[in-house]
Amino acid sequence: MPRITSLIFVSLIASMVIAALVTPLDQNSDVIAADDESAPANALLAESATQAPARPKSPTYTVTIRRPDGPPRIELAGSDPQGRSGTVACSTCHSVRPPAFQNRNATTLDEFHQGMQFNHGTIACYSCHNPDDADSLRLADGTRVDYSDVMTLCSQCHGPQATSFAHGAHGGINGFWDLSRGPQVKNNCVDCHDPHAPAFPKMIVDFKPKDRFNMPHTDSDDH
Amino acid sequence: METSKPSLPIVENFSRRAAVKGGFATLGAAAFVAAVSPLRQAAKNTTAAEFMQQHYTELSPEQKTDVIARLEAEAKEKHGVDVKISDDRPIPGTKFVYAINLSVCNGNGKCVEACHKENNHDRATNQSYIRVIEMPKGTMDMEQGSTTYTGAVPKDDKFYLPVQCQQCDEPPCVDVCPVKATWKEEDGIVVVDYNWCIGCRYCEAACPYHARRFNWKAPEIPAEEINPNQGYLSNRVRPVGVVEKCTYCLHRTRKGKLPACLEACPTGARVFGNILDKDSNIRWILENKRVYILKEELGTKPAFFYYFD
Amino acid sequence: MSNTATKQNHISSYPKFIGRSLWLATEGSFGFYAWMTMLTAIFLVGANAWANQVAGGMVGTNMTDQVSWGLYIANFTFMVGLAAGGVMMVIPAYLYHDRKMHDVVIIGELLAVAAIVMCLMFVVADLGRPDRFWHLIPGIGKFNFPISMLTWDVIVLNGYLVLNLHICGYLLYMRFLGHRPNPVWYVPFVMISIVWAISIHTVTAFLYCGLGGRPFWNTALLAPRFLASAFVSGPAFIIVSMIMIKRLTGVTGLEQPIATLTKIIRVTILINLLMVASELFTEFYTGGSHASAAKYLFFGLHGKTALVPWTWTAIGLNVTAALLFLWSGILSERWRPLLIAACAMAFVGTWIEKGMGLIIPGFIPSTLHEIVEYVPSQLEWKVTVGIWAFGLMVFTIAIKTALPTLKQPSH
Repeated sequence: MPRITSLIFVSLIASMVIAALVTPLDQNSDVIAADDESAPANALLAESATQAPARPKSPTYTVTIRRPDGPPRIELAGSDPQGRSGTVACSTCHSVRPPAFQNRNATTLDEFHQGMQFNHGTIACYSCHNPDDADSLRLADGTRVDYSDVMTLCSQCHGPQATSFAHGAHGGINGFWDLSRGPQVKNNCVDCHDPHAPAFPKMIVDFKPKDRFNMPHTDSDDH
Repeated sequence: METSKPSLPIVENFSRRAAVKGGFATLGAAAFVAAVSPLRQAAKNTTAAEFMQQHYTELSPEQKTDVIARLEAEAKEKHGVDVKISDDRPIPGTKFVYAINLSVCNGNGKCVEACHKENNHDRATNQSYIRVIEMPKGTMDMEQGSTTYTGAVPKDDKFYLPVQCQQCDEPPCVDVCPVKATWKEEDGIVVVDYNWCIGCRYCEAACPYHARRFNWKAPEIPAEEINPNQGYLSNRVRPVGVVEKCTYCLHRTRKGKLPACLEACPTGARVFGNILDKDSNIRWILENKRVYILKEELGTKPAFFYYFD
Repeated sequence: MSNTATKQNHISSYPKFIGRSLWLATEGSFGFYAWMTMLTAIFLVGANAWANQVAGGMVGTNMTDQVSWGLYIANFTFMVGLAAGGVMMVIPAYLYHDRKMHDVVIIGELLAVAAIVMCLMFVVADLGRPDRFWHLIPGIGKFNFPISMLTWDVIVLNGYLVLNLHICGYLLYMRFLGHRPNPVWYVPFVMISIVWAISIHTVTAFLYCGLGGRPFWNTALLAPRFLASAFVSGPAFIIVSMIMIKRLTGVTGLEQPIATLTKIIRVTILINLLMVASELFTEFYTGGSHASAAKYLFFGLHGKTALVPWTWTAIGLNVTAALLFLWSGILSERWRPLLIAACAMAFVGTWIEKGMGLIIPGFIPSTLHEIVEYVPSQLEWKVTVGIWAFGLMVFTIAIKTALPTLKQPSH
C-alpha cells in the first residue's frame, strides 16, 4: 500500500512540476482537453510544450490531471448595503468554532450545512476535513493536504482505484494516447464523485440506434 | 408493356413471321429499357473516375491525391461542406488494443452517440458502430441480454456490455470478402475500402460481433452536423450500398488521439492504447486485470478485452 | 472425327445453327406466345423493381444489418440446388447406361443452364453495388481466391454454366449438322459435370457452414443436406416439366425417365427428412443458446414467430410428399395429377426449407442475440418473381430448341 500511495504522490508531484512549466500562472485552471486541435487551450498547451526549453530533445507531452480550484468558498447569504454579495473562506467561521469530531451527518447540526446529504461510508466530517486548518484537508496521519490535492486524500482508502487510475484504468481521459504527439488530460476523483456521496449517479439513456424492426418502445421513422 | 396480343395465323410465310417476331423483339427491348430507366438516375451519381477507381492498395500516391481531391469536391457539392479527408497510415510499432471495464460501464450510451457523430453516420437511423447489451448479472449468455433497454441506468441487477468491432487478429469478415475490399492493417485495424466494396454483405454474415453495417441508403446528415475531419478509410461520408465498420477512429488514433467513444465515456470505463508499448495503460490492464474476450471459442482472437474490477 | 474436314464449315454453319435455333425457339402456338408474353411482363416488373432498388438503395428491401441476407440469397441457394438436381438424370443416363434416360437427359442439362442463370441474377440482385461487379472478375478485379468461399462459388457456378452450355450446345449443333455426336467431345465433359454438380452445391453449403459466428449454419451436415434436398427439388421440377412436354409437344419415351426420377425422389426425400430430423434432434436435445435459431424457427422466440408458419408448412409439404412418393400407385397414368401435386409439394417444401427456413434463421437471433424479424418486402418479391419469370423463359426457349432432338431418339 505505501508503494501505491507513493506512486500516486510522485506522479502528482511530477505532473504539478510539469504543469508549472508548461502552463501560465493560473495552474488551477480547468483545462478540459479539447479533442479539436484548434481549441485554444489545447493549442496553447501544445505550443508551450514543444517550445519548453527544459526538454528540447524529447517531444513528450504531459499528462495533466484536472484539479479543483482550491478550498471551497461559502456564498454569503445576504448582500451589503451597496448590493455586493461575496464569499468567505471556510476558516471564517471554523477558526472560531470548536470542531465536533464525532459528527457524521447534517441532522445533528443546529446551523449551517443543513440538508446536506452524506453517503460515504460511516466516516466523520473530520475524517477528511482538517480541524486545525478549515481551508485544507487532512490525511489520517495528520498531514495537511490542500484541496487541490484531494486525490492524495482519496487514495489513502481507495488504493485499488488509485492504482487503476495511475494506469489509466479508472477515470475518464481526454486528448492523446500517444504522448509524443499531444497531451492528455485526466479527470480528478471529484470530477465524477461527489466526496460527500461518491456513488456514480444514475443516468438516463437518451441515444439508441434506431434499427428498423428492432424497436419495441418507439416507432420507426426510417423507411 | 406488351399486353395486347394479336392472334397469329399459322402461315409459313417466312418474311412476314420474321417481321412480326422482329416487331415483338423491338417492343420487348423498348419495354425493358423503360423498365430499367431508374438506373440512369443511379448512373448519374457515379462518375466515370469513381467507376474506374482501383483498389486502395494499388493507388499510387498521385492517384490517392486525385481521389481524395475528388471526394472532397463531391462532399462540397453533395453536402455543401468543406471537409478534409486525410489518408492516415499506421504508426510503425503500433498495435491498437481496446479494453472496457464492465464494473464501471453503466450503459448510458454516450459512446454510442459519440460514435454516431464522430463517424458521420446517417442521422435518421441513429446509426452507430457500438451496441450496448444490458445483461442480467450472473450470466455471460448474450441470449439473456437486451439491446433495446431504456430509462435510468445502471439497473441494480444488470451489467452492461458494449460491443463494437473487435479488430480480430483472425478476422472472419476479411477472409470471406470475395474482392479483398476489407483487410487488416499493420496496427491491427480492419478497414474497408468503401470505393471497392461490392455490397455482397458476406462479411456481415461472417462477423460474430455484429460489428459491420451496410448502407441501405445514402447517409443523410445536415451540413452543419458533418464532422469535417475525415479519414479515407474511416469516417468520410460513405456511399450507398457498401459495408462500413468501426476503425477505432483511425483518423484520430493514427494521429495519436484517443477514439471518440473513449473521450465521450463519462464513467472512464474505456481504455485504449498500443499493446506494443510496455509502459502503456492497456498493457498494465492486460497484465494486472483478469480480462476476457467475447466468443473466444470461435478463434477470432479479438484485440478487444473486457474486465471486471 | 469430322472436325478437321469441316473446320471452315463451322464458321458459317454455327451462326446458321444459332439463327435456326432462335427461329425455332420463337415459333409456337398461341398458348406458347401467351406464356412467353406473360413471363416477359412479369420479368419487366422485376427488372423495374430492381432498377428502383439500385437507384434508391437497398432500403427498399426489408433486410437489416441483423438479417443481412434475405429472399434473394434464399432463392439463390435453392436455385443452386435445382441446377445440381439435373444431375439425377445425367447419372442414370451415363453411369448406368439407361438408354431411355439418355435420350432425354438434355432436359436436365438445360434446366441446369436456366437455374444457373437465375443464380447469377439473384446474386447480382443482392449486391449493393452491382456497378462494381467487375471487381469480382479475376485478372481485372481483385479475386480473393482461394480464401473466400464466395470466389469458389463464382468459379463453380460459372464453370457449371459453361460445361452445360458446351454439352447441350455441342449435341444440338451436331443434330443440326446431321452428324453423330462424337463421344470424345462431350462424354468427358458430362463426367466432369457430374462431379461439378456435386461441387456447386457443396461449395454453396460451405458459404454458410464455414461461418463460426452462425451456429445454425455451422454444421457439417449442411452440404449433404443441401445435396439431398437438391435431389428432391431438381427431379421434382423435371418430372413436372416432362409431363408438360409430353402433353404439349407429343414427345414420346418420357414415361420410363419419369418413373426413374420418381423412384429417385422416393429415396432422396426420405434422406433429406432424415437429415433434417438429425439436425433438429441435435439442436433440441442439446439445447442452450446455440439452439435458439431452431427454437425461433419452429416455435418462435420471445414472442417473435414470423417464420413458424413457413417452417411448419415446409415440414407438412415434405412429409406429405414423402408419403405420396412411397405409394407405388403414384406411378400409374391414372394418378398423374397426384404425381404432379406430390412434385409440387416437394418442390415448394424444399424451397421453403432451404430459403426462408435456412438462410433467414441463420440471422435470427443475431450474433448479439437481438431478434429482428424479416419478412420480404414487396420490392423483393417483385425482383424475385421477375427472375423466376426470366429463368422460366430461358428454360422454355431452351426446351423448344431441343425439341427436334427429343422427338427423334438417337436409335
